[in-house]
Amino acid sequence: MASAKPAALVIGAGIAGIQAALDLADAGFPVYLVEREPSVGGRMSQLDKTFPTLDCSSCILTPKMVDVGQHPNIELMTYSEVVAVEGEVGSFHVTIKKKPRYVEEDLCKGCGACAEACRMHGRVIDTFNQGLGKRAAIYVPFPQAVPLVYTIDPNACIYLTRGVCGKTFKCKDACPADAINFDQKEQFVEVDVAAIIVATGFDLIDPRTKPEFGYGVYPNVLTGLEFERLSSASGPTAGKILLNGKEPKDVVFIHCVGSRDPHTGVPYCSRICCMYTAKHAHLVRDKLPDARITVFYIDMRAFGKGYEEFYDRVKHEGVIYRRGEPSEVFKRGDKLVVRADDTLLRRTVEVEADLVVLATAVVPRADTEAVARLLGLERTPDGFFKEAHPKHCPVESTRPGVFLAGCCQGPKDIPDTVAQGKAAAAAAMGVLHQAMGNG
Amino acid sequence: MASRPRIGVYICHCGTNIAATVDVEAVTEFAKNLPGVVIARHYTYMCSEPGQALIKEDARKLGLNRVVVASCSPRMHEPTFRAASQEGGVNPYQFEMANIREQCSWVHHDRDEATAKAKALVVAAVAKAARLEPLEDREVGVTPGAVVIGGGVAGMVAALDVAEAGFPAYIVEKSDHLGGHVADLNRTFPDLEPVAEWLPGLIERVQSHPNITVFLNAQVARVEGYVGNFEVTVSGSKVSGSGLGEPGTHSLQVGAIIVATGYKVFDPHRKPEFGYGLYPQVITTLEMERRLAEGDLAVDGKEPEHVVFIKCVGSRDKQLGNPYCSRVCCMISAKQAQLVRQALPDTRVTVFYIDVRTFGKRGEEFYDEARRSGVRYRRGNVSEIYRRGDRVVVRVEDTFLRRTLEVEADLVVLAVGMEARQDTDEIATLLKLPRSADGFFLEAHPKLRPVDTAMDGVFLAGCCQGPKDIPDTIAQARAAAASALIPLLRGTVPVISETAVVDPELCAGCGMCVEVCPFGAPALDPLWGVSRVNAVLCKGCGACAVTCPSKAIQVRHFRPDQILAQVDVLVE
Repeated sequence: MASAKPAALVIGAGIAGIQAALDLADAGFPVYLVEREPSVGGRMSQLDKTFPTLDCSSCILTPKMVDVGQHPNIELMTYSEVVAVEGEVGSFHVTIKKKPRYVEEDLCKGCGACAEACRMHGRVIDTFNQGLGKRAAIYVPFPQAVPLVYTIDPNACIYLTRGVCGKTFKCKDACPADAINFDQKEQFVEVDVAAIIVATGFDLIDPRTKPEFGYGVYPNVLTGLEFERLSSASGPTAGKILLNGKEPKDVVFIHCVGSRDPHTGVPYCSRICCMYTAKHAHLVRDKLPDARITVFYIDMRAFGKGYEEFYDRVKHEGVIYRRGEPSEVFKRGDKLVVRADDTLLRRTVEVEADLVVLATAVVPRADTEAVARLLGLERTPDGFFKEAHPKHCPVESTRPGVFLAGCCQGPKDIPDTVAQGKAAAAAAMGVLHQAMGNG
Repeated sequence: MASRPRIGVYICHCGTNIAATVDVEAVTEFAKNLPGVVIARHYTYMCSEPGQALIKEDARKLGLNRVVVASCSPRMHEPTFRAASQEGGVNPYQFEMANIREQCSWVHHDRDEATAKAKALVVAAVAKAARLEPLEDREVGVTPGAVVIGGGVAGMVAALDVAEAGFPAYIVEKSDHLGGHVADLNRTFPDLEPVAEWLPGLIERVQSHPNITVFLNAQVARVEGYVGNFEVTVSGSKVSGSGLGEPGTHSLQVGAIIVATGYKVFDPHRKPEFGYGLYPQVITTLEMERRLAEGDLAVDGKEPEHVVFIKCVGSRDKQLGNPYCSRVCCMISAKQAQLVRQALPDTRVTVFYIDVRTFGKRGEEFYDEARRSGVRYRRGNVSEIYRRGDRVVVRVEDTFLRRTLEVEADLVVLAVGMEARQDTDEIATLLKLPRSADGFFLEAHPKLRPVDTAMDGVFLAGCCQGPKDIPDTIAQARAAAASALIPLLRGTVPVISETAVVDPELCAGCGMCVEVCPFGAPALDPLWGVSRVNAVLCKGCGACAVTCPSKAIQVRHFRPDQILAQVDVLVE
């Protein structure tokens, strides 16, 4: 990055941050793209297909991930976190912590020999796969990761947790590039930027807050994101919908798990669940043509371009939509039973299931309050970052020079997230232009 | 000039997308023995960093001068692999892709047959690659500035972003004022903020911005050129410090065009069963907006005792050809229903809905507030409205109670949806923009390119792409500005190298290529009487090449000998 132009900082390298960084970099501005995880990609990299076109998510995302990894104007800092922000619009001074990967980024070839050799191979919960699979203590989150560099999980590595790992380091011995370095320490990097884009994304509510649905009790009650990994060709079952090796015959989807529910503290609509559930129902129909598929909904919110048409298609594929809020999921013999008040039939119904998928609410990330304090941002009552004005300033934050992109401002689907990421980039371009002395 | 081919062939597994159906190892072994092939490999994800590294390292070590990747559609990864080839020292135009995913593994089940087909696709790609010539990447300069068609909120916001980044922006507005549909609104959901508190300020910022020129009563008459260098002819009146100028024709030179032409409100006359235009008690949400602004809710001089809102009028209605949701009507109804309750606390308010779609930030909370304020929501399909004395009767099938009800009302508000404007076709023709099935302009990709179009340098903002509320419109308008600013800030744009070229020895000067070209690239040279192609305008579509009766035109990278070489190996 030899450019003399003022730079921007983008925090978070999910699709919102990737898009914002690419637009700024394509326009010629230097960009520091900081991502906490070992790879860019965010939530979108965990998805199987995308509604309503059923594009393979990683197939359309990978080119953009590769672009941010190779763009001459982007300095990508993965496995890193912003720890301090000083200054004001036009001249922010930012401190970034680079966490130790214990693997030298410029030496690692991503061959995976270390993970094969690791004593914890197949024994560490694979968070990228939502715990449906196991990995080693040294890992890449997924095969298309950018950068394709292995990282040692400090909470799982035997040496890092116990101070000793046998007589010899299996991973070090296996590495043909001599890339593993247990002496790596945290590093702090300081950069000056004129504008900041916050694209820190979202979490999903823990479905145990709705204990009546039996998540964590019955292994065949999954969240929507777990279903994505189950259905993904690169997931733990290679895309086969299998539970304990068996194909489910009856599949029930439940909308609004946590959302639109003041009791869970999530009074708002999560905006994406109606459509991803319709997509899930389609994927089950596609892979298991004989399955009975039921979706419980309150209001069907298919509001985006081509969405109503997709909902219609799914209904015509024999997916049964029942209006009603399930009250509980319980076990009867080999089967689960979903009991619900069908508000159209006006009676309580019981539907048997081998697989129950919960469309869990989109919630602010657990550390939103800390990030808000770090960046000097305000939050709305729903917990997301507050925009400068709900109607006409949707991407400005309450702090000048800091802009919001994607779900950190509130739930959004991918096109709306991309549009907002680009919008934040446009807003930042104005600031960067002023910072060049052209104001 | 053609170097002896040294070809590297790379077969992608695409995880299991290809490898589950195609025997990638067998295809690789097969490719190793093809003429000119120096190395053949297979890998899990060729598009990943180590996949690309294989190409680069082989190219350097083995001195490759051609690369073939057999993977997915070139629409996705051709730029990726061209860049990787170039980094390895191979001319990016001596790269060829075989699509063994969309055109093979995804559409076949039988592994043997799919593998045989993948081999055929690879052998054809290798045959073409051997005949590919190196081409140069080309760039042209960009005329700074953008034309924004439409002066509603989307157009104004997009123009401001362009102007704030230091470039001239020209707003071409059809009516005699800025502000679009939002100017007709009273208050906005969910904060019930008066539009008068912010819209005039936005208009003032636009009008007083030194980089923005506004044309009113204006239309785009003609568009010529291409990304980076458009010439837009506008007929209309330029606004200057002294007011509105005389109508005239203006020629604008710009690098990008933003389309922000907005939407049309659904005409409820097309639902004659609702009696709109027949009964004064039946009005639209837009008319209600005016009444609420004026504080006049009376019907025949009397305050209404019961106000009924009907949602999805003209939306989610396949019979009308509008299967889509208009995205804003649920919130507009909730807003107006609350305002009626505030103005007339004794008036009953009922909303008939199919699904309540209050999905935006604070939307659900606002819907709750409407219900708490006493607005009654009933799920039902309204079948007709007819007159009874001074009142009207709404006949509705209540889908909860599962019976037909008749509800008397003094005022019925139809929540009318959004449609593509009538002039969408004209604009689409002017700018060569495709439209989606719903009539709105079609974005380049529904997920990842929501504001780009099939035409480079032309971008979409606001409801001309599909229904949207104000914050989503503003986000999208600024997104369109970001896309437009990229070429303006860079100062150059890449243009394609695979252009048509005329052999003047063969050209008879018949001019058929001039007639057939959609981009105005070929022109007859008056001196020599032969056709010449403007390589900047040419998009490489090949229409001229197939039309030319004397076969004098060829498209670089798609020459007949290159294509016939593929055909030959396939039929062997």
